[in-house]
Amino acid sequence: MRLGEGAKMQASINVTPLVDVVLVLLIIFMVMAPQMRKGPDVSLPKTEKPTQQGDERGRILVSIDQAGGLWINDNAVAPEHFGEALRAAVGAETDPKVVIRGDAKLNFRQVREAMQAIEQTGFRGVGLIAKGRNSGTRGE
Amino acid sequence: MEFNRSDSGSSLQSEINITPLVDVVLVLLIIFMVVVPLLMQGYDVNIPKTSTNATPAQSQESRLILIISPTTCRILGPLAGEGLPTDCRVILGDQKIAATELPARVGDILGNRPAEKRVLFLAADDRANYEGVLRILDLAKSGVEDLKVEFITTN
Repeated sequence: MRLGEGAKMQASINVTPLVDVVLVLLIIFMVMAPQMRKGPDVSLPKTEKPTQQGDERGRILVSIDQAGGLWINDNAVAPEHFGEALRAAVGAETDPKVVIRGDAKLNFRQVREAMQAIEQTGFRGVGLIAKGRNSGTRGE
Repeated sequence: MEFNRSDSGSSLQSEINITPLVDVVLVLLIIFMVVVPLLMQGYDVNIPKTSTNATPAQSQESRLILIISPTTCRILGPLAGEGLPTDCRVILGDQKIAATELPARVGDILGNRPAEKRVLFLAADDRANYEGVLRILDLAKSGVEDLKVEFITTN
């Protein structure tokens, strides 16, 4: 048997299996990524039709977990240091927006206290994050 | 040149080349997977200033105040399932109404006002469940477009 004869030689590498493997890896990582986040585990309140609040990047996320613990972005914050931590999170941003991700099981008091602390840092408005009935938003 | 003679010249490819299709789908998948978990939904609310005596934007009479109290709506603990308790009532203005009437009532009262005056002042009891408060807020907001919500905070 001599090479170059018989079956035709294929000059290009077949990339289809490579693409398949990459695709599957991508799906696995994409599904895992939200669970790999640091930060608190918040089960958001479910409501009928919350309005879009846009992308969470560029927002300051204030989370209140089920036990009432306060978090700014991915870091737990003691209530007495909340104001300075929020100012640090604002940093040099010119038009920051603060959103509150509060757990559905909280009392309104805990959310109100967080809102007042945010107000004392100089913000007039906040977004209260909820989960629409049919949305795939994070926060399970 | 003869095209119909498949047994000579370059061999004809009988299958569709799906590699570009797979590439495009892959890129779309990446874009959606990255963007979707980062999108948030919720409600914009305002907190009145507690430190200074801000001048009220509206005269006292035209303010519409919604009071959520656990004595008229049993939302003290975590809610079971979807929606609100069936006998849930709230106080809108000076009337006690069923929560299910809230969209219609808010629409009646605020619907004919100019958009910048569609403000609902919300006073919720501290003991009320946060999810219940948001569901009532959701009902109120569904009655009228561009409703601004101001939380009234005491102490």
